[in-house]
Amino acid sequence: MNRYLLLGMLFLLAACVPKKVEEQPIMENNQRAGDASATVAAASAQAEQDRANASAERGAIQAEALADCAPAVCDAVVRGEIALGMNEVQVLAATRTTGDAWTIRHSGPSLVMVPEDERVVPSDVVGNVAMVQLADNRVSRYGYSEAQGIRLVDEPYDATTEGRAEALAESLTREGDELAARGDLDAALDRYDRVSVLTPGDPMVDYKIAAVLDKALRPYEAMIQYQLFLHRLNLETIEAEGAAAAQLAEAIALAQQRLVILERQAR
Amino acid sequence: MMKSRPLTSTAAILVVALLMASCSNKQVSRIEPDTVTDLSGQWNDTDSRLVANALIEQSLTDPWLGRYSNANGGNPPTVIVGQFRNRSTEHIPVSTFVNDLENAYINSGAVTVVAGDAQREQIRDERDDQQDNARADTRAGLGQELGANYVLQGELNSMQDEEETTRFGATRKEQIVFYQVDARLVDLESNAVVWAGQHKIKKYIERKPFGL
Repeated sequence: MNRYLLLGMLFLLAACVPKKVEEQPIMENNQRAGDASATVAAASAQAEQDRANASAERGAIQAEALADCAPAVCDAVVRGEIALGMNEVQVLAATRTTGDAWTIRHSGPSLVMVPEDERVVPSDVVGNVAMVQLADNRVSRYGYSEAQGIRLVDEPYDATTEGRAEALAESLTREGDELAARGDLDAALDRYDRVSVLTPGDPMVDYKIAAVLDKALRPYEAMIQYQLFLHRLNLETIEAEGAAAAQLAEAIALAQQRLVILERQAR
Repeated sequence: MMKSRPLTSTAAILVVALLMASCSNKQVSRIEPDTVTDLSGQWNDTDSRLVANALIEQSLTDPWLGRYSNANGGNPPTVIVGQFRNRSTEHIPVSTFVNDLENAYINSGAVTVVAGDAQREQIRDERDDQQDNARADTRAGLGQELGANYVLQGELNSMQDEEETTRFGATRKEQIVFYQVDARLVDLESNAVVWAGQHKIKKYIERKPFGL
């Protein structure tokens, strides 16, 4: 009996032994923690080498790009902006990049340059470049990656400030329409307001703003916008444009109808 | 003669006490900054150095640098040092290893570092002052600041686990302290994390009774 009691006590004592951590230390007092100077030195040497190589390559690209370029293209290269009519080397010069930045795909006489890495896209002074298409070694189309999506430039007007504003206004209008359809009237109004800044005097924008305000139960502001819409329209011009203005004519009728209703409610 | 004995003993005790007091002398010595000196087991300079070394090694050898450089004609990326939060329970000056990392970036030349928000205001004030008071040909130009491509952010977390065991009146204390430092480089335009570095430190602290 005593033997069992003793064994039991021993067992209990063994269970009470502290949970000792049996790991060998990897660093102890008086050792050296070292520093990262070797890593920094290696990175420095590598960066210096890369910079020298890239600088030489960029210099050669710039020289070749500016050697025999049309004045407008030369101006664009110096400004750092892609332009229609540039060749491949001039695109590299305008974006201050080398061939490493691009994946170049050939397809017959056509060539498409897209960023090598989508996480770090090349850019010119206008913005991040999504793609450049060349036909017969001349830029025929290029696109910028912008907040509203890809903006394409395939004619000289698209590259102007007005052209850019127009493209931006179009994408914002599309976004506003989607938001209005989803019932997010405040966000839709915000997009249409931005469009009205980019393309002032567009009666269809005024109409959309009026309609959204009307739906958002803001009658007084809606009335002003409907009136502005009607004021801006030259009905005779619209009639002269015939079928092309059918959509506007319908909007006019709706605006007039809403004005009558809103004015009655206001009384 | 008999009465002088207690006086002698008192004097002797005083002398011994004085000697003992003078024996608790302070000793200060300069030692190498990279020497491992763990006293309490809390965060110290060695931990800061280990974190800095690891983050420097990880960030300067990661492909993010090459990716940026390739897409930008060999130019180095521009980084601004943002906030490093100390989420541990200890008071830890995170700027020691953050500054080490910043210094490594600058000295390697692989990364261009621009002044953070605290330094920036002072520099802008000075530049504004120059516009009014400095000679025209020596004024620093306005609107020439470099925009950062990436912001360096991070945080430090810690965990503790401890146990005390008392046997025959003596207490043995074991403690585990774990630190984790995470650093991230975030693209300012896209919010994409282009590099993430991490270093973990685990310490086992044992306090035995009677120094056994």
